[in-house]
Amino acid sequence: MNRDVLVKLNYLLLAILLIGASLVIKHAENPERLIQGEWIEKEWRLEKDNATVVEESQMQSELKREILRNVEELHLGIWKFEEDGSLKSASSTQNDAIEWFIKGRGHVLELRRDGKTIESFQIQQISKTKLVLHLNFDLQVKGIIEIVLERKEQSDQYAKKV
Amino acid sequence: MLRKYSNHRTQSDNVKLGALTAFSAGMVNVASVTVFFAFTSNITGYYAVLAQEISKGNWYQGAVVLLWVTLFFLGSFLSNFVIIQGKGRWSQYISHAIPVILELLSILFVGIYLEFFYQNSLKETEILVGALLFAMGLQNGLTASISNSVVKTTHLTGLTTDLAILVSMFSKRENRHNKALVDKFHLLLSIMMSYVAGGLFGGIGYLYLQNGVFYLTCIILLIIALYDFYKIGRIRRIFEKRKKGVVMQIS
Repeated sequence: MNRDVLVKLNYLLLAILLIGASLVIKHAENPERLIQGEWIEKEWRLEKDNATVVEESQMQSELKREILRNVEELHLGIWKFEEDGSLKSASSTQNDAIEWFIKGRGHVLELRRDGKTIESFQIQQISKTKLVLHLNFDLQVKGIIEIVLERKEQSDQYAKKV
Repeated sequence: MLRKYSNHRTQSDNVKLGALTAFSAGMVNVASVTVFFAFTSNITGYYAVLAQEISKGNWYQGAVVLLWVTLFFLGSFLSNFVIIQGKGRWSQYISHAIPVILELLSILFVGIYLEFFYQNSLKETEILVGALLFAMGLQNGLTASISNSVVKTTHLTGLTTDLAILVSMFSKRENRHNKALVDKFHLLLSIMMSYVAGGLFGGIGYLYLQNGVFYLTCIILLIIALYDFYKIGRIRRIFEKRKKGVVMQIS
């Protein structure tokens, strides 16, 4: 192929990448929109790689106690992500204003109270029905607390079926 | 710092340019991670993240990362485009200073937007990180282009590799006395330490200055852009003084 044509194809490819990425961002499911609504906590799970069963049971309870102590206030039961950026809990006694923000490429959920960050989670998975959060200890390392939430309507429907 | 091109550049030119630009890149990177939870000089990581997000079916996140990588590419492209198209049209200094000014404007835009308009929405985050990546692309493109790829200030993977290679080469006695190798070692070490220092400064600076960190980065870039301008002016004044002295002697 002619060199001039190849060069022009290069520029065309660059334009396609830019425009294509912008279009996908505009039309694809935005995590900020997807997260809005009510979610029910299904599971709080401690993930620990490379541990034997014995080690795991010995470490598990102590580690769990230590870590969960620090995130006690985040056991909201029902997580209600409002459109105005506030996070409410229907089942918790604390109803003080927690703000939520989606950061990064849409993979970080940051919670703030009175302008100060109280916690940030890595959004491991988000869909219309399921939200999986990893507690963010370090951006390069996988968090060790996994929180699994299900959308409230989905849970109610399943309960009705049963 | 910016006047000379490729083999006409001295070790001093490269160290000054490399250290200052790496310092500013370190500051921007740490500030960006603190504010946006996104790196602005980690393109290697973003390629991996792009593959990961596409494999997980996260089209939105994948598209965001693709856009960021493309903007970095565009910045680098624009830097070299200005330099090569500027040959013959305007002075070498001007064509080398333009990418620095564009980088300064991008970072200034981010600083001002954060200060007065930022609502913490995801869309704003993506655009601002995109602007910072474009700025880093401009910087990396400029330094690599004018130093003949000797100086690359946001490419720490390659820098660490090269440093390791040099350290292993110094295990042979004759290499320890090779001026070119020793100069390269000093240059790479300066860039690495400046990047880390910039990152530390950015992290601590953000605690006290908040979005002012970005303005501080702009000041450093201004120093880079105007350093040669000041030097040219100083040399001109010395030359004119000497000329006057000679004329007075003759008369």
